Amino acid sequence: MLSITRRVGERIVIGDDIVLHVQEVSGSTVRIGIEAPKALPVYREEIWAAVKEENARAAAAGVELPRGPVIPPAA
Amino acid sequence: MSPLTVHSTRFGTIEIEADAVLSFPRGLIGLGGSRYALLTTDPESPFSWLHSVEDPDLALPVTRPWQFFPGYEIVLADDEAAALGLSGDDPADVWVTVRAAESIKDFTVNLRAPIVVTSGPDGPAAYQVINDAPGLKVAMPLFAASAAADSGTAAA
Repeated sequence: MLSITRRVGERIVIGDDIVLHVQEVSGSTVRIGIEAPKALPVYREEIWAAVKEENARAAAAGVELPRGPVIPPAA
Repeated sequence: MSPLTVHSTRFGTIEIEADAVLSFPRGLIGLGGSRYALLTTDPESPFSWLHSVEDPDLALPVTRPWQFFPGYEIVLADDEAAALGLSGDDPADVWVTVRAAESIKDFTVNLRAPIVVTSGPDGPAAYQVINDAPGLKVAMPLFAASAAADSGTAAA
């Protein structure tokens, strides 16, 4: 992995279309601005990972879906 | 439009109407794919299948969230909504993925990452988005809202 040290206010450019701005550093928190093409989604890693895993689980369902209207089970 | 033949491990070879195919310019998160068909095997059922047109093995059960979560709201970052061409005045068709189980009471749905269908210039385009509304999980019990209403402790 490439590691680059930057100061607040400096930027990193990835290719011609993606720019990361180091906006603020406070304690262990870094605020990063991201400019990217609209077609390129940007996610917080932990949300992306959770959704990826949930999609895989939904796709792995080995059961038949119930037929007919669904009635909520009695609590 | 002529029907499209889709090969499915689960359903065999099926023919679907071309307008049931949704393009996914970004794919499904972590699964990719650019074209999926919405298959309804039982019109009485709230569940459908989002079936890959490209991969016979790839299909996810989906449902529309509002039957089970009447107060469900989707909150998108402004730039995300703009990128997808969505606005609050333009209600889109929305689906959520379902994790099916042996018993319906163990079904969960992903309210955190709904699939929003927009009317694109080349037919329907769908995007799985991150919903920033508070309190939503990727695995929400399907009957969480009705259970909360029954016990008088409505979910926030």
